[in-house]
Amino acid sequence: MLEVRDVTKHFGGLCAVNEVSFSVKEGAVVGLIGPNGAGKTTLLNLICGIYKPDAGTIRFAEKDITGMPSNRICRLGVSRTYQIPQPFYAMTTLTGVAVSVIHGKKRPHMSLSDAILEASYYLEFVGLFSKRDTLARELTIYELRMLELARALATTPKLLLLDEVMAGLNPAESSKALEMIWNAQEQFDITILWIEHIMKIIMNAAQQIVVLHYGQKIAEGTPQEIANDAKVIEAYLGGQYAQSGRP
Amino acid sequence: MVRLEFRRDRILLRWGEQKYEWVIEPRYWRNPAIGVFLLAIIPLFILPYPNILTMLTSANLYAAIAIPLGLQMIGTARVNFGPQLYLGLGGYTSALLNLHLGWSPIPTLGATILVCAAVALLLSPTTFIAKGLYFSLITLILPLTFLDVTFLYGDIFRGEVGLVGMSPLFNFGKVKWNYLGYFYFSLLLMLLYLFVSDKISRSRFGVTLAAINENEDVARMMGVDVTKYKVFYYVFPSILTGIVAWFIVHTFRTFAGITYLPLDFMIKILIIVIIGGRAFVYGAVPGAYLIAVVEDSLRGLGPINYFVFPLVLIGAILILPRGEGLWGLYHKRHHRDYFPTLHVRR
Repeated sequence: MLEVRDVTKHFGGLCAVNEVSFSVKEGAVVGLIGPNGAGKTTLLNLICGIYKPDAGTIRFAEKDITGMPSNRICRLGVSRTYQIPQPFYAMTTLTGVAVSVIHGKKRPHMSLSDAILEASYYLEFVGLFSKRDTLARELTIYELRMLELARALATTPKLLLLDEVMAGLNPAESSKALEMIWNAQEQFDITILWIEHIMKIIMNAAQQIVVLHYGQKIAEGTPQEIANDAKVIEAYLGGQYAQSGRP
Repeated sequence: MVRLEFRRDRILLRWGEQKYEWVIEPRYWRNPAIGVFLLAIIPLFILPYPNILTMLTSANLYAAIAIPLGLQMIGTARVNFGPQLYLGLGGYTSALLNLHLGWSPIPTLGATILVCAAVALLLSPTTFIAKGLYFSLITLILPLTFLDVTFLYGDIFRGEVGLVGMSPLFNFGKVKWNYLGYFYFSLLLMLLYLFVSDKISRSRFGVTLAAINENEDVARMMGVDVTKYKVFYYVFPSILTGIVAWFIVHTFRTFAGITYLPLDFMIKILIIVIIGGRAFVYGAVPGAYLIAVVEDSLRGLGPINYFVFPLVLIGAILILPRGEGLWGLYHKRHHRDYFPTLHVRR
């Protein structure tokens, strides 16, 4: 479904992503991990068109989306959530999701009332229906994360890019959010590329994991392979641990 | 026997067996028909005072310039410091075509729309290339440059004197009736702009407009073609501003760039938007009326007016709710309404 080939991105003298290649199969949950500053979010931004890669190609559903504007990529079926929630603070949750409903797909004749009905369905799905008239600025961090999920789902994506969706959530909220993501994947039949720092969650959730370090891909494989990979252990814990074999 | 009863939320009028009631509960005051009716009957009381009528005509025109500017500020998520560029372009286009080629007001209207649309389309990339201060600076410079051009080519634009003697839009024979005509025509223009802006902001386009204003990068990620919308919300209000200039040319029959292109005129319009309520399309109306009345009242003070007028405006900006202005006081308990209020039941 998604094919990233030799993608490179520089910011001045800094190479944020360096010749990274990997692919995501339809229906899979792929984890993208790496220490802070490894280039995970930059890679996500490259996939969804916020940045244009300096080199390499990105293909989605057999189409070359390299350097395509974000709105066109979104309409092809790629949606995302943000590491730091970016809701429309002065808008109600219902209105915010309605924007996704109207523009996520080509629906030139969809009326506003139809859009809000559909938006209310996505709010109900993530458990925010009772907060439909609340301004986004009044929501808690968990509710903001769920609003982001509703907004992303409302664009009817085939590929969902999750950027540290569990950050700032307590264990109870994390398990609720995880359940919500499983439900979404099952109900909407979506593929997920997921950046996560909480290893316990990503190791259980993903079928395949890609590890980035200093902008380079250092490992790719199943969670078990990744957990035993010396390069990954070195990147996370330091060379001493990799040599002693104590992950 | 007619009996009038005043209750907490309504006024009752009894006439024999008949009973009429008028609900005065605040939520019913929000009916725009009441506002339109009040504006329409004003001239009946001030007909003998043509200076007041002219002041109110100016207020309508200020509002007709401020309404598209408000729409543009929301739709492009940028503060345009030079909406009067299109006032100058529209005014000179219709005045020059009328004076030199003898075009009547209807063809000059078409030409004004075309010229404003073409120039706005040419300049529209600035809405997505230049951000924040850079956009404001670009838009600030353009009308001032145009003003210099009107002085540089004084033989065409007649510099400080301006162009005079354009054909009138209508002539009722009597000066008093003409003043009344100007008022109602300007009111009609303002209400038309208000109606169009209101329709836009309450439709699915209004929701998109609000999303772009909130965060254009996130809106783009949600599938909104931000560039297309920005071009539209730059070009369309610019055309509306040009039409106001066309109206000025064919009613006041005089047009000078020095009146409309300098910085102080633009500041007046921006202050109308801010005092009226930046987040509300309707805010431009009370804002424009307040500015016109204050400006006219202080004119009698003489040169000190140049100090008092800005002080009054600064005071108003400080006192009124931030971003919500006069309309915010009226609409206090509601969300910012540049996007429609959506409701759905389970």
